Amino acid sequence: MFKDIFVFIECKEGSIRKVSFELLSKAKEISEKSLSTVYAVIIGNDIVAAANQLKEFADKVIVVNNEKLKNYRWDIFTHVMEQLIKKYKPYAVFGASTITGKDIFPRLAAKFNGAIVSDAVGAVFDGESIKIKKPLFGGKIISWIVCKDDSTFFVTFRPNSFPVEKRSLNGELIDETVDVVGDPRISLISTDKSGSKKVDLQEADFIICGGRGMKGPENFQMLEEIAGVMEGRVGASRAVVDSKWRDYNDQIGKSGKTVSPKLYIGCGVSGALHHTMGMDTAKVIVAINKDPNALIFQYADYGIVDDIFTILPVLKEELIKIKQEV
Amino acid sequence: MNILVCIKQVADTEARILLKSDKKSLEIENKYNMNFFDEFAVEEAIRIKSKIKDSQITVCTYGTKKAVEALRTAIAMGADRAFLLDNTGLDSDDPLIISKILANFAKQEGFDLIFCGRQAIDDENANIGAMIAELLGIPHVSAILKFDIIDEKKVRVESEIEGGKETLEVQLPALFTTQKGINEPRVPLITGVMKAMKASITVVDPSTFEGLSKELIDMTASKISVLTYETPKGRPAVKIVDGETPGEKVKSLIKILKEEAKAL
Ligand SMILES: Cc1cc2nc3c(=O)[nH]c(=O)nc-3n(C[C@H](O)[C@H](O)[C@H](O)COP(=O)(O)OP(=O)(O)OC[C@H]3O[C@@H](n4cnc5c(N)ncnc54)[C@H](O)[C@@H]3O)c2cc1C
Repeated sequence: MFKDIFVFIECKEGSIRKVSFELLSKAKEISEKSLSTVYAVIIGNDIVAAANQLKEFADKVIVVNNEKLKNYRWDIFTHVMEQLIKKYKPYAVFGASTITGKDIFPRLAAKFNGAIVSDAVGAVFDGESIKIKKPLFGGKIISWIVCKDDSTFFVTFRPNSFPVEKRSLNGELIDETVDVVGDPRISLISTDKSGSKKVDLQEADFIICGGRGMKGPENFQMLEEIAGVMEGRVGASRAVVDSKWRDYNDQIGKSGKTVSPKLYIGCGVSGALHHTMGMDTAKVIVAINKDPNALIFQYADYGIVDDIFTILPVLKEELIKIKQEV
Repeated sequence: MNILVCIKQVADTEARILLKSDKKSLEIENKYNMNFFDEFAVEEAIRIKSKIKDSQITVCTYGTKKAVEALRTAIAMGADRAFLLDNTGLDSDDPLIISKILANFAKQEGFDLIFCGRQAIDDENANIGAMIAELLGIPHVSAILKFDIIDEKKVRVESEIEGGKETLEVQLPALFTTQKGINEPRVPLITGVMKAMKASITVVDPSTFEGLSKELIDMTASKISVLTYETPKGRPAVKIVDGETPGEKVKSLIKILKEEAKAL
């Protein structure tokens, strides 16, 4: 059938983001059924080591290594991808529903007059086409979508939608030299990457989220410590962000970020619909709230009814113990 | 400055959404709002107008007749004129088609500056802004957090990138999508609401746009089709962890997370 799939790889500080491995794993599963080829497409600067890592996950690895690709720039990255898609004509292009993916994919779809499905959470190959699973209305409805394949189509998936499966392939590396030019109408003045050391909220496996019940910004230090132990991230409700206790980057929910960690712990979060819409795809949800009638208990798998300030110190100690055991 | 703001009317987060028996269509409770992220776009346009006096703010939406309500909200906030690009008989929610319609409208009218919300909160797509810009061949910056006019031809914006922010200078005409943090959208005053109630809203049939025809933008032209809708699987009832003391509660939680939920 030869329906090649491109996977657009994202890097952060020189290393490949976990979501890219998730997408490669899914693409490979589909390609095995459709007898097609999975191409990992990595563009950036100083990415040879990263590209080699991809060989185990993809049949072919297209590398565009160029100094001018050091920082993400929509105009340059779109132009590079455009040239590669023109040359290889893949059937589908998969990417992550991240800030970068959400920026580059619609541009490409418009350029190629192609179908686009964004923020998907699943995909299956039914012998003929790829069926894409996408939540709507904050997860109240799930839709299954197919794309017309009269031209390449584009799909972005939420991080943490698929498990990573190593295939021990030995993909062929293909060095591509393409035009690396930007749009002269736009110029970069400065970048601030102060938050780049942290795990991305959408990619984190562990999220401990603070709500207004945390009482003040200083108490988030305890959550930071727990997140540190678990190598995860601290999230926040909108009430917290609006009170300026935490940055908007940390906001989970309808008007913040949608997250799907392996474990979410809500501390003093009431569980308003606007919030739960951003986190109810977490694999396991734990709520700690002193109000036994708090809405969040309707969404949680496990709950502790108690004061967070007596629970958190013990929780931290127990989690440290677990980490030491491993 | 001639400013266009593209907005969308979306179902309220609290609205009940039911699956029809064919599983191919939905019944949405009659509770709608202007999309959350679009409010920032309208607000930003109004702020520019207060600085650059001879500016005009046009709002438009592609939607049903009902979507005039969202346009009236924008007028109540301070937009000057509004266009409903009527989807009656077209009904496709393919982002490519919607972008083509909006881009054609923008081209026909000619704008220096276009704003859209970062994404719609019903489909969470975040496609329309970038696609319109691409179709118009103008620069675009997503999810902006700050917007300053340098002169008639150039603006400076700050936008969210992975793990940080960046500042860019962009030549106009250009398109920007707005994000929470850029401003505090105003609540319309009663005088604004009165004005909006009386305002005449132009209804346009998008298939009359140059370069578009019904066949190019109706359901049959759509590049995506929904096979079925489903309701998500609910979670089982919560298990409240027992214990006399906080220590006991945490210990039993940890045990469950390890052994039962395999989450640790
Ligand atoms: C258009 C729109 C978009 C929105 N988007 C979002 C969004 O993206 N994300 C979001 O989170 N919200 C969003 N909201 C707001 C949302 O509706 C709620 O107002 C918000 O989530 C409430 O935050 P909270 O749970 O932290 O605070 P509260 O509702 O004040 O709840 C605090 C909770 O803490 C508990 N508590 C207090 N003290 C303690 C203690 N010592 N120990 C244990 N428990 C304690 C209380 O019992 C209570 O349940 C949005 C609202 C609107 C209108």
